[in-house]
Amino acid sequence: MSLAARHLEENGIATVVMGCAKDIVEFVGVPRFLFSDFPLGNAAGRPRDPQSQAITMELALRLLEAAPAARTTVQSPLRWSEDPSWKLDYSNIERLSPDEIRRRRKEFDRQKEVARDVRDQSAAARSS
Amino acid sequence: MSQTGPGFGFAPEADAPVPYMQRIRDYYLALGYATPYRWAHYAEVPFRALTRPLAECRVALITTAAPYQPDKGDQGPGAPYNGAAKFYRVYSGDSRIDHDVRISHLGIDRAHTTAEDSNSWFPLPQLRRCAAAARIGEVVPRFHGAPTNRSHRTTLDQDCPELLARCRADGADAALLVAN
Repeated sequence: MSLAARHLEENGIATVVMGCAKDIVEFVGVPRFLFSDFPLGNAAGRPRDPQSQAITMELALRLLEAAPAARTTVQSPLRWSEDPSWKLDYSNIERLSPDEIRRRRKEFDRQKEVARDVRDQSAAARSS
Repeated sequence: MSQTGPGFGFAPEADAPVPYMQRIRDYYLALGYATPYRWAHYAEVPFRALTRPLAECRVALITTAAPYQPDKGDQGPGAPYNGAAKFYRVYSGDSRIDHDVRISHLGIDRAHTTAEDSNSWFPLPQLRRCAAAARIGEVVPRFHGAPTNRSHRTTLDQDCPELLARCRADGADAALLVAN
């Protein structure tokens, strides 16, 4: 997504990225970034919360209008939860047992195969 | 009094943005993959200010979500990661109508969210409301789906030019890109 934002911007289309992974988007480097400190998958606001979604959109639009320079990040003031402990779980190896790590490795390899098949089919469809 | 004790009003140390890059590196290393993923990284960042008021701008929406495919297994809400639901070509949809797009093919935080409400990752209805309220000029006729390809080469050489061509064809002045 960040690469697409950069490409559009380079070619005259102003962009704003809405996302939840602050370090990744900023590491790539984008013109404007609305950061929501929410679990990945909620870049446009809290589920079942139209007000949160409206606030998030309005912040993105204001950023589009008013960012003074590239790499402008605005962090949404909305909080996912008063308890920040959810932040400790994502891909946190310290919280997984050896059995769970083995299971996840197996599952990751399986999913890679599945995704490869989809990609190969997509490529075959394109060249036919 | 310790510096983290009561009195200063400091938040707990862990209450900061999640360090995803470090987490993901450590995670795949522990799973046995020796070569860490290398994220794209630039020192220079382009910038193009809007040249007209937002209320006159045509705005495009770009998403990483995938159209729901009933024959591709569980896509949620609450679905485990589903590689079969991935897509590898830019797609577009009619912005005037609602769409069933899912995020089961992405690395969302499945411990703390279930992908039950597409408005939390695909704000097309919200963007249409902004157009109706004259907050933006209009939503361009199509939204676009961006593949989450792990190959930078494919993203840069194939997907980015394709997204640009489609945004230009629709006369977009600005684009909102919603990551997952």
